[in-house]
This record gives sequence, structure tokens and C-alpha cells, in this order.
Amino acid sequence: MTERDGYNLRLYVAGQTPKSIAAIANLKKICDEHLPGRYEIEIIDLMKDPALAMRHQIVAIPTLIRQLPEPLKRIIGDLSNTEKVLVGLDIRPS
Amino acid sequence: MSPADPKLPLFQDADETVAAIHQGEVDAVVVMRALEGPQIILLQGAEEPYRVLVERMSDGALTADPHGVILYVNDRLCEQTGYPSAGLVGRSLPSLFEGGPPNLVPEVTVEASLLRNTGEAMPVAVWSRPISIANSTATLVRLTDLSIHRRAEQIAAAERFARSVLEQANEAVVVLSPDGHITHASLRAEQLARQPPVGCTFSEAFQLEAQATEEAETLARFSSESLDALLATRPFHGVEVKLRGEANAKFTFLLSAGPLIDENKTNVGSIVTLTDITERKRAEEAQTTLVAELNHRVKNILAIVQSVAAQTMRSSVSLENFADAFTGRLKALATAHDILTQTRWIGIGLGELLGAVLAPYRSPAEGRISISGPPILLPAHAVVPLSMVLHEMTTNAAKYGALSTRQGRIEITWQVTGGIEKSIELVWLERGGRKVKAAAPTGFGTKLIDHVISHDLDGNTKLDFDPDGVRWTIAIPLRGLAGGGAAASGAATA
Repeated sequence: MTERDGYNLRLYVAGQTPKSIAAIANLKKICDEHLPGRYEIEIIDLMKDPALAMRHQIVAIPTLIRQLPEPLKRIIGDLSNTEKVLVGLDIRPS
Repeated sequence: MSPADPKLPLFQDADETVAAIHQGEVDAVVVMRALEGPQIILLQGAEEPYRVLVERMSDGALTADPHGVILYVNDRLCEQTGYPSAGLVGRSLPSLFEGGPPNLVPEVTVEASLLRNTGEAMPVAVWSRPISIANSTATLVRLTDLSIHRRAEQIAAAERFARSVLEQANEAVVVLSPDGHITHASLRAEQLARQPPVGCTFSEAFQLEAQATEEAETLARFSSESLDALLATRPFHGVEVKLRGEANAKFTFLLSAGPLIDENKTNVGSIVTLTDITERKRAEEAQTTLVAELNHRVKNILAIVQSVAAQTMRSSVSLENFADAFTGRLKALATAHDILTQTRWIGIGLGELLGAVLAPYRSPAEGRISISGPPILLPAHAVVPLSMVLHEMTTNAAKYGALSTRQGRIEITWQVTGGIEKSIELVWLERGGRKVKAAAPTGFGTKLIDHVISHDLDGNTKLDFDPDGVRWTIAIPLRGLAGGGAAASGAATA
């Protein structure tokens, strides 16, 4: 995977809250369906280290950050709305 | 800390954040605090109590999406598997199990082997049901650690087994904890204890008394407390004790204790046994008595032999004469002892004794000797002296009386006579022998008869020289037959 075609995603969660769990499940499902072999997901648990919220100025959890490809994008919520996620990540033209 | 990304507009997504919170798509927010920095605040909903319940339940729990990807695990499952939650979330559910995934049927419990991070497998009961998370279907899986149950079952089975062994034990066996309290007791121990023994200290349940003086000193060295401590912690062997109390007075026990070692080689108490050695002690005492009795009898016999030899020597006119007389008397002694051995020193009937002594002279065809009288059991102590007396009478008859001719006959009769003071009156009547007259001086045989009957059996003798033969009349009081012990030694002084 190269920086040009790969998706580097970072999901900020708060331990195992229901929305955090749902966000993980939804993200994996969307990526497997739409970005097979072209993504990396990093899950950041802010319950363990809240200071990591500063990096991307996270205010609500869960929040997904698309680090690559640029530009950086963010989606707030449990990612249950697949269409919204695809649009937000520029995976499918709106 | 890295600075904020300049390309990310600070407030661009504020509306989106508010909308997400409003729509319930987030359940936590980050709040900046001046001193502590960013803090996570959970937005708890109605399901929060259930989430807390699942997180803190004693069983492992996870949720998996319809593809079997693990979305959530509780702390207990992390403990069960040995992995942190990050090492489990995202993994496939089947990968948790050894030998393939269990066939999950909603609301049905199945057994499976959960793989731990150490490579070991843990037996678990797996229960599942479908649930709804954030508008999608997931599976809630509960994993109950069966190794605890299995271990508990094994412990319970071992406990039942140990208890049944204890209960079946014929001896009094108790198990002491390291602090000296009884944790288990056999049925026999419960019977012997002053009170239900479990929970008591050993000295509370069993009050000991030493069996022998030297053991009393051993026991006296210990107070109740120190004896309890000793029994609980040190091997203790072979002190003979009795238990206080009327019911237990007749028993003698051997008190022993040995350490109780668990599977980790740790001393977890002791096993104390009170072995009933009452029968063994009785046998030992009987053996000691028997040896003392044997010693006494051997000494008596030697004394008798010595006395008979000396007396025979004094009354013998030649060495041949001595040899004949002495051999005959030894044979009589031997016959008496044979009888005693055969009858186990219980005694013998008077008729049987006469039969045995006169056997060498009796021929059924000739019928020269007749024996008749009521049955009388002679005690053991009377057998030797009476045998010697009858031997002397028989010898005299053979030498000088009825048995010295072909036609001679002897009639021996006896009866019990008297009122309060009953006696046996035995008459020895010789007929058809050579004419006899009173010997002067009286021979040793006659002296022996007199002496033995009067001294050993407290009776008297009368010798009549009838023209047709001698007549011995011997009277022995029954009380003379009742005593014991003096007979043989009395004969020895004859």
C-alpha cells in the first residue's frame, strides 16, 4: 500500500462504550467492503490516554480521522450511516 | 505534545459534533480542564447499567458482529484468555477456541476449549444470544470458566473420597489443622470422643492417660496446648495411652501423628491415629504370664526330680536298684506332664488318670485291673502328685503284690463321701497276689504316698495288710483339690 492510494485511518474511541464498539464494527465492515487491502486502521483509546485527544482536537467520541490520503478529514459518530462515511472519506463521489 | 494541525479548522465541525451528540451517535466527549488537561466524559444512557453489569460480571463476555469479528470484550474475558482487550477486539470469534469454533445456537449452552495466550486450553461453557447494537445485529457471547467448576468438582470428589476412607477406617483417625483443631474424624474417633470432635482441639475431644509410668512422664511433659501443637505439627509415634471415662477404660491405644502434606508439599496439618491395641496388650500380658508360669513349673519339676533322686538314692541298696526305681518315677512324672499338656493344663478325670498310669499293666483280655467310680475332674495341680502316688502303688503291686503273680487282681474304686466336708475316698484293693506283710522299715514308696497325700492334697492314707493283699484307703478332701500351685513344690520336698 502506498501513500497515494492507501487510506490511513485513525479512530478515536473511549474504552468499550457502545458507540465506540459500534464505530469499530462499522468501520471494519465499510473498509472491508469498499477499501479491501487498501486501508490501515489505528484505534486510539482516549480512556487510556486522554491527552492524545489534543493531536486532532477531538471533542466527541467516537471520531474517525482520515490521515491519508490528504486532506485530513474527520467524521464524528458511530459510523452507522455508511453513505455518510463513504462521502466523508471521499470513497464515493457525492 | 504535537501542535494542532493547522489544516484542521478548529470550529469547522462544531455543527457536525452537536448534531452527532444530538442524534446519539457519540457517547463520550472530551473536555479541556485547565489543570488536568483533556478529560473524557461519558454520556451515559439507559443501557449504561447493563454495560457496567457486563463489564463486572464474573463470566467472560464478548460481542461479535455478524461476521464473527469481536467488537467488545469484558475484563473477565481478558483474564480468561490472558490477552488485553486490544488483543481481542478485531479478532475473529472462532480464533478464540481450540479445535474449531463451538456451534453456537441462541440461548443454548455448549462446551468448548478457550485458548489462552499461554497456549493452554481452558474448558468453558459458551452461551450466546443475538442483540442489537447501534441499529445492527450482533451476537452476545458469555463464556463461563468450567475449570473452576471442574476443580471444585474434583475437590468435592476428593473430599467425599477422603471422608469415606475416614468413615470406613476401623481405627480412630482425626485430621488436625495446623492450629490443632480437628477438621475430620472417623466414625470410631467420633465414638471415642467426649464431644463431637470436629472443631475441637485434640485435647478437648480426647483426654489422655498414660498406659505405663514411663509414658506418663512423656505425656506429663506436655500441657494440653503444647500436646495439641505437637500433634498438629510434628511426627509423634508410639505412646501407649488410655482415654479417660468409664466407657473407654477397658481400651488401650497407641497414639501416633504424622504430617499431612498437600500437593504443593506444604504441611497443612496432621493425621492423628489412636490405634486400638487392647487385644495386643492382653496377648502380651498373657504371654508374660505364660513365660513366668513355665519358668515356675520347670523349676518345680527340677526340684521334684532332685528330691526324688535324693530320696531314691537313700532308699536304694544298689545302683541297679536305684536306676530301676528312679527311671520308673521319672516316667511317672513324664506321664503326668503328658496328660497335663494334652489337656492344656485344665486337668483330667480321675478314671482317665488311673487308666493312663496303669496302662502298661492292663490287658483287656485278662481283666486284672478294674477301675470304677463317679466322674471326678482332677485339677491340674493335683495331677503330678496323684500320678506319683499311683506310680508308687503300682510299682509296689508289681514288685510285691497283686501284679507280681499271674492270678493277682487289683480293684480300684472311689466315691464321694461326707456331708459338708466332702472327700474323695479311693480304695486300692489287691487280691490274689503274694502274701504280704507290713514292711519294716517302711520303704520310700510308702513314705512318698503318705507325704504327698497329706501335704500336697491335704488328705490321709491308710494301708491295711489283709491276708489276701494290701488295701490302700486314700481320702482327699475336695477342698484339697480346689487349691493350686503348692502341689508340685510339695512333692519336691517329699
